[in-house]
Amino acid sequence: MTKEMQFKTIVAQYCKVKPEDMTNETKFREDLGFSSLDFMSFLGELEDTFDVELEEEDVLHIFTIGEALALLETLQE
Amino acid sequence: MGTLIRDILEESEKKYSEIKAVKWLKKKEVCERSYREMMTNAVSVRKGLLAEGFTGRHIALIGSSSVEWIESYLGIITGKNVAVPLDVMLPAEDLADLINRSDSEGLFLSPKKLELLEKIIPECPGLKKIWLLQEDAPELPEEKVSCVGRLREAGRKCEADAERPEAEDTATIIFTSGTTGKSKGVMLTQNNLASNVISVDFALDPGTVILSVLPIHHAFCLVMDWLKGFSLGTTICINDSLMHMVKNMGIFQPEIMLMVPLMVETIYKRLSSASPLIPKKLVAAKAFGGKLRIIITGGAHLEPFYIDKFAEYGIDILEGYGMSECSPVISSNTPQSHKAGSIGRPLSNAEISFEDGEILVRGSSVMKGYYKMPEETAQTLRDGWLHTGDKGYLDEDGFLYINGRIKNLIILSNGENISPEEIENKLALNKLVGEVVVTGENNGLTARIYPDQDVVAAKHMGEEKIRTELQAFLDKYNKTQPTYRQITGLVVRKNPFIKSATKKIKRQEALIDEAIS
Repeated sequence: MTKEMQFKTIVAQYCKVKPEDMTNETKFREDLGFSSLDFMSFLGELEDTFDVELEEEDVLHIFTIGEALALLETLQE
Repeated sequence: MGTLIRDILEESEKKYSEIKAVKWLKKKEVCERSYREMMTNAVSVRKGLLAEGFTGRHIALIGSSSVEWIESYLGIITGKNVAVPLDVMLPAEDLADLINRSDSEGLFLSPKKLELLEKIIPECPGLKKIWLLQEDAPELPEEKVSCVGRLREAGRKCEADAERPEAEDTATIIFTSGTTGKSKGVMLTQNNLASNVISVDFALDPGTVILSVLPIHHAFCLVMDWLKGFSLGTTICINDSLMHMVKNMGIFQPEIMLMVPLMVETIYKRLSSASPLIPKKLVAAKAFGGKLRIIITGGAHLEPFYIDKFAEYGIDILEGYGMSECSPVISSNTPQSHKAGSIGRPLSNAEISFEDGEILVRGSSVMKGYYKMPEETAQTLRDGWLHTGDKGYLDEDGFLYINGRIKNLIILSNGENISPEEIENKLALNKLVGEVVVTGENNGLTARIYPDQDVVAAKHMGEEKIRTELQAFLDKYNKTQPTYRQITGLVVRKNPFIKSATKKIKRQEALIDEAIS
């Protein structure tokens, strides 16, 4: 599974949208119905799956799938 | 007569001296402080403040939960000073405004928030000293900036200790959303806080583990997790981030947790997604660390459905009710006396009465008033009775129930109280916004906007253009706001809002006649 697909599969556990229907512009709250706490738990799962450390400060201004993927990319470099 | 928080803490220090008071994570290592160590540090802060000339002053704190935060808080309120805990998530300009409005002359600041200094130092001329919440700081950006390690060091060298406060002295000022669009500073006295701690009828064995997951500047977390927990000799573990709540439950294995309903709802989503073939006790052990037996909720309404569901996993949910103005607990279910759907029996120090269905409270935990807001104080406190803004009733067994609200506050299930006017005032600054009402739905905020028709005509704007421009404006606004104040829904109205005879928007009819595109 590609990293992007793995990422979207985790997202899909928190909502009713299928991974293949998510685009970079999909917004966590407005389009996927994430609550603020869903979002935080989801980030915790990302840390474990991709072995990265996220800072709350960095994630405050993440609204879309594309933005989250880009952050993940930077952290894994 | 009355009790001081200092009396309660000194008693705990004697009784529980070697028990761990606080545990926290530093990277992956668990660190801890005993009651004796914590109190030694708090006393050093108190003496240090005295040595630096802080007596009868207001001192703000900005930071998420940390051992340095709570020791500094205790150092402030066990002397003659007043602690002003502020929400670390607020934008810099709002924090500067609250520092100024609370007349704070000192500030304890999280080292993670150093960038705030740029705004706060020039805009808060009343601030005489800032201590970073860290042990040492080799390089300090400004003369008036120091760190808590040095303050304690100065305190340790000092013989003189601060006098005991009076029971009726203000101990803390806690800011809460105001219905007039401006947050209000709730003044709570030593006795207000201490009598709330004493009156919540809850016995736990010393050393019982509590995991603290709520923001520490909230009265519910500050008084019930921390001060109540210290009075019983419990060990309070700090959840470093909501991202790690589940993982931290595994590390610290708490028996008790205070939560807001949103947390209960989110945890339930995960519990219920487990395979029905796995025994529920096993699912619970994995999700909660294995020892959790009680969740206490407050801050917003909890659907009784969750109480039954969690009982299947061996966990009791006890719902309570309160507000900052009451220090904060007014009523609570307890392990011995509880009813699902009710918010429990009133505390022994709270007298309840009703006026046109509105719940009124009187007693030793009711605030002194709002800081420098005599009109708002007079509206809320009448003849010693605090008007809660909630409608409710008592049943034949003395259990309290809520069935409506009088004030305009929007209560989200994460416990945040949102004043719609406060946000509407900010949104109305955009020229394209003619009229705006903010409503709470699906656990988020929606802005319902009727565009300014002059601007629409002048710019020849079509429906699509109006929507794009308003959404872009909201996106920009959201980036400056903490998550709970962000607008997640937009409704562009084709018709103006329905108004009263005095030309005020009828808020309760805001959803009528929207005719949205």
